[in-house]
Amino acid sequence: MSEPLAPPLLEVDDLSVHFRVPGGGWRERKRVLRAVDGVSFNVAERETLGIVGESGCGKSTLARALLRLVPTSGGHLHYAGRDLLALDAAALRPLRRELQIIFQDPLAALDPRMTVGQIIGEPLRALRADLPRAERHARVLAMMQRVGLLPSQVNRYAHEFSGGQAQRIGIARALAVEPRLLVCDEPVSSLDVSIKSQVINLLQELKAERALTLVFIAHDLASVRHIAQRVLVLYLGRVVEIAGRDAIFARPMHPYTRMLFAAAPIPDPDAARRMRAAPVRGEIPSPFNPPSGCAFRTRCMHAIERCGAERPALRALGGGQVACHRAGEWLAQPFAPAV
Amino acid sequence: MALLEVRNLSVRFATVDGGTVCAVNDISLSVDRGKVLGIVGESGSGKSQTWLGVMGLLARNGRAAGSACFDGRELLGLSHAALNHLRGARMGMIFQDPMTALNPFLSVGRQMTEVLQRHRGMGRREAEREAIAALEMVHITDAPKRLGMHPHEFSGGMRQRVMIAMTMLTRPDVLICDEPTTFLDVTVQRQILALLDELRQRFNTAIVFITHDLGVIAEIADRVIVMYGGRVMEQADVHTLFANYRHPYTEGLLRSVPRPDVTSHGALATIAGNPPDLAHLPAGCPFAPRCVYREPRCDTQMPDLLDVGPDHWRACHHVGALGKLQAVA
Repeated sequence: MSEPLAPPLLEVDDLSVHFRVPGGGWRERKRVLRAVDGVSFNVAERETLGIVGESGCGKSTLARALLRLVPTSGGHLHYAGRDLLALDAAALRPLRRELQIIFQDPLAALDPRMTVGQIIGEPLRALRADLPRAERHARVLAMMQRVGLLPSQVNRYAHEFSGGQAQRIGIARALAVEPRLLVCDEPVSSLDVSIKSQVINLLQELKAERALTLVFIAHDLASVRHIAQRVLVLYLGRVVEIAGRDAIFARPMHPYTRMLFAAAPIPDPDAARRMRAAPVRGEIPSPFNPPSGCAFRTRCMHAIERCGAERPALRALGGGQVACHRAGEWLAQPFAPAV
Repeated sequence: MALLEVRNLSVRFATVDGGTVCAVNDISLSVDRGKVLGIVGESGSGKSQTWLGVMGLLARNGRAAGSACFDGRELLGLSHAALNHLRGARMGMIFQDPMTALNPFLSVGRQMTEVLQRHRGMGRREAEREAIAALEMVHITDAPKRLGMHPHEFSGGMRQRVMIAMTMLTRPDVLICDEPTTFLDVTVQRQILALLDELRQRFNTAIVFITHDLGVIAEIADRVIVMYGGRVMEQADVHTLFANYRHPYTEGLLRSVPRPDVTSHGALATIAGNPPDLAHLPAGCPFAPRCVYREPRCDTQMPDLLDVGPDHWRACHHVGALGKLQAVA
């Protein structure tokens, strides 16, 4: 059963975000941090794309760039066929309703001086001024109810809520304007174990009910494996691999993907102790001075001369896409070699 | 005899409005040399305050009662000076954020040699040599050069290595690790876990590992204590706990987390409700309001911690089988 491929809702082509930051010493020149460095991918309508990677790989910058919350340095970004980077602020405004985001630290993302009703109602006020006030209020209450908050709490302040409830407020705020695309930047990382699954379930229910398209960013592989249909792996601002969820977890092709997956602790003492053998080599290099060629080569036991000389392009391989000069060699083998 | 025996420990905090927060309630446990005791719990479970209470490091409005016997010596009620000496020389503690424990103004070398000069009576040269050896022991390359660096010049994982090296300088008998890898990436976490395990084997150090992450517990712990609302819910060796848990809360924790090694479909099993308010704990079992096996007496009477198998303990009134919490496949 193969459905016809819907045209992508979001098309990201060679997107870069570079920051100029002060140099180390008092006289040194500004240095360029390539937080997002030539990233390309698509997100289909109603799809959930998981984005994984370690701190400093550019996950959050990419999330913000997708919504034009940080200035981009190059590349193209199309949403529903419209060139987002070509729009000025006024032209972008109506689209803001369709593109929303929820953040990692729910309490930090909520204004402490506003009531829950004001927080959830603010995007409605800003982006749906056409609605009468009573209608907006009714929507706030309905949204609260839907995410599992009591409408009677509408006049409370954010600090009166626990982390899990605060994330529900963040979700209600983002969904009140009925977006099509929701970017979730580590939405469950700071939540307690017993609350995490509640919020993941809520996101999945809302996605189905409202035909949402999700970009779900996390460093937690387990929740990405649960929620995403496709997975994108970032390393030092670059895409190293994109593949369907089942394919990438069954058979990660890029050596970095394999190292990252092997490092995830497994809640099973027997499985966990077997995995202990998988070593992690070195540390992530400074993003100011990434290695030439393949950014991962300094930690890769399969690196050859070519990896230092030539940056591997993201190419189609085994149903997904991989940026590795040697991945083709492993495709023929029954198992990809150890990291 | 166990290295550290905690008996009926309670930790209370007085609040400004005259109330009491019961962070830890009547906890007993023991820590053995060369073993890793895992303490798992969510925020407010009392998993950290238990150890701050044992170490005499509670906030000013906190009081610990009960007994904590370290190598035959009672810790609760010891003088500040005696505790300082014990903590420096024989009990080490590492925290979630190493920056809170490292002095940002002093070089790493200076902070390390100070410990050696004070606790091991070394001269400067000797202390420096020892500090270099300690950094090499935690696999920090180029150790002599690193000695002159300040904490902010290290990455998060390296900083935690420095912290471990510093704590190990006095060869403590017990190392209490409070979420030491929570801020770190999984690849760095893997390296730190391997390092702790290596040190445990080499020096026969007892390790207490406090975390909310069941994956990390499965990875490193020999025995596990599951805490909730300041109480021990279940206690067993790590294999029994994961394969044959007997407490509804343990079941909830294990069933509700998605796993990185298995693809789950549909909705995840969940524990309904929110963690308890420690200032207003229920009279009975703190988990009762969220428990799917709740019985009337759970609300009024805290169940005792009783054995349900060889060296396997739980505090729960429910007698029948578990299994109500299943992920919807």
